[in-house]
Amino acid sequence: MTVFTAEIVNPCVLTHPYNDDHQLSFEELEMKYTTSVTKGMTSTMAAQVLERDGCNELKPPKGTPEYIKFARQLAGGLQCLMWVAAVICFIAFGILMGQGNLTSYDDLYLAIVLIAVVVVTGCFGYYQEFKSTNIIASFKNLVPQQATVFRDGQKFNINANQLVVGDLVEMKGGDRVPADVRIVSAQGFKVDNSSLTGESEPQSRNPEFTHENPLETKNIAFFSTTCLEGVATGIIINTGDRTIIGRIASLASGVGNEKTPIAIEIEHFVDIIAGLAIFFGATFFVVAMTIGYRFLEAMIFFMAIVVAYVPEGLLATVTVCLSLTAKRLARKNCVVKNLEAVETLGSTSVICSDKTGTLTQNRMTVSHLWFDNHIHSADTTEDQSGQSFDQSSETWRALGRVAGLCNRAVFKPGQDAVPIPKRDVVGDASETALLKFTELAFGNIVDYRNRFKKVCELPFNSTNKFQLSVHELEDPLDLRYLLVMKGAPERILERCSTIMIKGQELPLDEQWKEAFQTAYMDLGGLGERVLGFCHLLLSEKEHPRGFGFDVDEMNFPTSGLCFAGLISMIDPPRASVPDAVMKCRTAGIRVIMVTGDHPITAKAIAANVGIITEGSETVEDIALRLRIPVEQVNKRDARACVVNGGQLKDMTSEELDDLLRTHPEMVFARTSPQQKLIIVESCQRLGSIVAVTGDGVNDSPALKKADIGIAMGISGSDAAKNAADMILLDDNFASIVTGVEQGRLIFDNLKKSIAYTLTKNIPELTPYLIYITVSVPLPLGCITILFIELATDIFPSVSLAYEKAESDIMNLKPRNPRKDRLVNESLAAYSYFQIGAIQSFAGFTDYFTCLAQEGWRPLLCVGLRSAWENAHNQEVQDSYGQEWTFAQRLYQEYTCYTVFFVSIEICQISDVLIRKTRRLSLFQQGFFRNKVLLSAIVFQLCLGTFLCYCPGMPNIFNFMPIRVQWWFIPVPYGILIFIYDEIRKLGVRRHPGSWWDKELYY
Amino acid sequence: MFTVCMYALLMTISPYTPTYRDRVVPPGVMISPRVGGFDIAFNASDPKTWAKYTETLNAFLTPYNDLEQERKNIACTPGVYFKQDDREESAERKACQFKRSSLGNCSGIDDPSFGYSEGKPCILLKMNRIIGYLPGEGAPVTVSCEALKGDVDHFGAEEFYPYDFFNLMYYPYYGKLTHVNYTSPLVAIRFSQVTTENPLTIQCRLNGKGIKSDSVQDRFLGRITFTLQIGA
Repeated sequence: MTVFTAEIVNPCVLTHPYNDDHQLSFEELEMKYTTSVTKGMTSTMAAQVLERDGCNELKPPKGTPEYIKFARQLAGGLQCLMWVAAVICFIAFGILMGQGNLTSYDDLYLAIVLIAVVVVTGCFGYYQEFKSTNIIASFKNLVPQQATVFRDGQKFNINANQLVVGDLVEMKGGDRVPADVRIVSAQGFKVDNSSLTGESEPQSRNPEFTHENPLETKNIAFFSTTCLEGVATGIIINTGDRTIIGRIASLASGVGNEKTPIAIEIEHFVDIIAGLAIFFGATFFVVAMTIGYRFLEAMIFFMAIVVAYVPEGLLATVTVCLSLTAKRLARKNCVVKNLEAVETLGSTSVICSDKTGTLTQNRMTVSHLWFDNHIHSADTTEDQSGQSFDQSSETWRALGRVAGLCNRAVFKPGQDAVPIPKRDVVGDASETALLKFTELAFGNIVDYRNRFKKVCELPFNSTNKFQLSVHELEDPLDLRYLLVMKGAPERILERCSTIMIKGQELPLDEQWKEAFQTAYMDLGGLGERVLGFCHLLLSEKEHPRGFGFDVDEMNFPTSGLCFAGLISMIDPPRASVPDAVMKCRTAGIRVIMVTGDHPITAKAIAANVGIITEGSETVEDIALRLRIPVEQVNKRDARACVVNGGQLKDMTSEELDDLLRTHPEMVFARTSPQQKLIIVESCQRLGSIVAVTGDGVNDSPALKKADIGIAMGISGSDAAKNAADMILLDDNFASIVTGVEQGRLIFDNLKKSIAYTLTKNIPELTPYLIYITVSVPLPLGCITILFIELATDIFPSVSLAYEKAESDIMNLKPRNPRKDRLVNESLAAYSYFQIGAIQSFAGFTDYFTCLAQEGWRPLLCVGLRSAWENAHNQEVQDSYGQEWTFAQRLYQEYTCYTVFFVSIEICQISDVLIRKTRRLSLFQQGFFRNKVLLSAIVFQLCLGTFLCYCPGMPNIFNFMPIRVQWWFIPVPYGILIFIYDEIRKLGVRRHPGSWWDKELYY
Repeated sequence: MFTVCMYALLMTISPYTPTYRDRVVPPGVMISPRVGGFDIAFNASDPKTWAKYTETLNAFLTPYNDLEQERKNIACTPGVYFKQDDREESAERKACQFKRSSLGNCSGIDDPSFGYSEGKPCILLKMNRIIGYLPGEGAPVTVSCEALKGDVDHFGAEEFYPYDFFNLMYYPYYGKLTHVNYTSPLVAIRFSQVTTENPLTIQCRLNGKGIKSDSVQDRFLGRITFTLQIGA
């Protein structure tokens, strides 16, 4: 055990040597801290030290200042793109103003809107982060922890954060150790170091100096560990961040934060967009120059094209989609700290899960009993809904009586309304389990114990490994005493001469001993903690009423007892976990268990929840089955593998990688949280996206290193929550699976949203290109584009986030982050050059119709630009010889903007419908299932109508009331888009893997 | 599909009359000479400063030459609309004569400098053509000018040639395909009593039924504003 403890000594911790207070004698200690091991410090001295050292609390890892957090929200990939675009707009505006021919403020507006979008979405993201930080903050203990301290020779209860180095404190079972404490005196004092070292066995602590290493010596209790039982006093030797746990917590900040997969995807996407934008811009720059525009004009065209390529609405869409999912997750008990983490969960391919509390209930529970030569199963479900065993046997009565009486655990008062399994208990884990078990079986156990008045008891100790107590009998006429005893099964058996079978005491012969051995091995093999129980009715003659029982002298028989049975306990898996693990498996996610527990227990739970599947064997299992030495087993045959911390310590990283590659089912037992980090790194080296669960302070480096760190809301420490990206409010593994499902769904739906959003980029860009090359009146204005991007199309694109999954996404493998991109070439190509092209044609058809019907025939329009835009020319002739003033032409141009806008809207309705599915026919998916999407379409139409027909629009936003028939001109194109995409989907479904599938499936 | 749509579109569009005419009504107003913007500034004594204006005016008035008009167009009855709706849509329409000589002092015939050399410049006012439009709804549209800014008191009075209104006989217009020789009627304005050398902002407007001349959005609808600076 000591070797194991040493593993957590992180090199970083060692570089700041921990003081050697544990080696000092009490006198030296008193000298050093001006204190007294009996009276404590003086309050004046304590106040001085408090002044010097500050409060005894862990400082939150140097919190990123709020403005940096906010700035970070403004500096994502898309955001940068938009900043650049805004700057370009300003430059273009500046050039135009410098030239003195300022006809419109469009560039300025555009720049302002771009910046506004970035800032508003930034605020949105910041608010989300802020909100979840608040949720985390609310978990912090609002009631300050109290500590018992001696000052000026008197006992005080003060807030633990007021403690200082040198204070003499008292700790008892149930308390949290308030700082790093050098033990001065102790009675049966035990601490749970699991949050520090990951080991779940109670550690005893006493004043004895046993090891030079402060982490191994028995005379120091560490800050934030829990006292399980006993009483101790000690001198505080370190407080706050100078404690061991404080040092480890600060380590987490040293681990770099990985980029989230979605951030990588968005960067990739921005690269594509930027590349295309510059390509288009440069092409048309050259074209414009050859056509004969002046350099400055061509430059402005170039900038305008680059800016037109920026999907202004996308940032808002992505942010809103992610936060919708975050909200949905929050309802399912996953709080997401960072919006992008929502998607990360979806691409997760490995989950490194804790055992205790996450996979299991974190509650020792009686799971099996052995009596009457049978193993009986007890109900281990959380809500007592499972099957129980037959309780009619006499032996069970006797066994239950021993379990109930020979037990020092008691319920904390005031919990009558709480279901028994959930009640708080004072006592160690196995006694608690037995207490709850007997309470469930017999009813009120306090009452029961009162009926059997306790005469004396001998608590459990590690030398004799048993616990006994003597009771009066329930029947007041029966004056015999009852001796009950429980302990390590082999020790109990040694003391027995008979065994109770079906209420009969039978002599304990070899046959029964063998039966006992088999049962003991079986239960032990399940990874359960087994206790033996026996009893004896003392004869009235030798031990009459009032006999002075003395546990020190043992003036009563402790052998020749009657063996009642075995009870085994385990921390049982949560009911929902096996199902969740199964789901992970079908979803292609590997679940790796990393626990501080014993390998056998770990393996048993792993097998129980399905991390090790039925029929999978470890190397050791194969060796056992084939009766060959372990070395001869072909490692490739073993699917499962249980590695313990000791082995892990001796492994190189290559060996670990190899191990992870060979065995799909891995369990790491007896690992320190530090080793968790190594395991995570190894998984990441193998290309996995790793999710890690953790609760201890020591887990925080691993949580931070992981692609997504998941902290436990209930049991998790603040440090873990700080380092994590997500918090499970119910500590339940099954919630992670829900998260994965949502994450995958949002990835798919984001893809759809992006495809939808990108499509209209082309019909927004082509008008400008045509305008430059053929010099027609501008078909679509900048403000109109902004309305499409940021008003009418936002809701539909967000509504795609509500789309149900097309197929069972949990049956697919996790996406390969290198291959399955969010935005791939086929998505861009299909959206831009096919659907986008159709939309452009729709727009131009409507544009030319509108112009032609007003008197400007298409051929006349070509080359018309300079006359059309000449603000002094009030007599430009149309195809019929009519003369138009500049303002009349301008309103005609606005009418063109509006019809182009309407065309894009109509086509986008068709587009949002086709984007509902990527593979299935719409008829399979159903048109009307996504109510949000339907209302989005209605909203879009209403907003479009409003913009067109609201009075005043022409002069504010350049929208004109258009003739009714112009609404219907793009409809055939909408239908074309629909049919076109159905054909694409049909091809994709019919010929998977074909050229068609590869080119057209996005 | 685009080709089909465009073809279908062109098939449905009449070559003679646009489907809709509401965007060009009511008519806008234009002046000549217009060189660059709407500022006319010159020194009467320096022909170089006004040559560009007279050149523009001369070019503008070429189609109005008496011979040309007499050869191509017919003399119509003044005071009534010259309607030719009884004929086929595709048939050519006759146009009424508008002779350059009727512009008098502003015709450039007697005074090739259009009065610019005397500091009494001529401006030609033209109403925008609109197919089928009957301005004034029976009563001719008149023209009036006023000075808005500058030394308003030194604006004096202006002279109109041939009249201060657009004769009804020039309307309606039937479109350039059928009304081939149509020449827009003009009103020439001679600013003969301007006695200041400072810039004057002058607005000329049309008055008549159905004419809109107070649009905030379109400053050229039924009115036109220009500056005039006449140096010695």
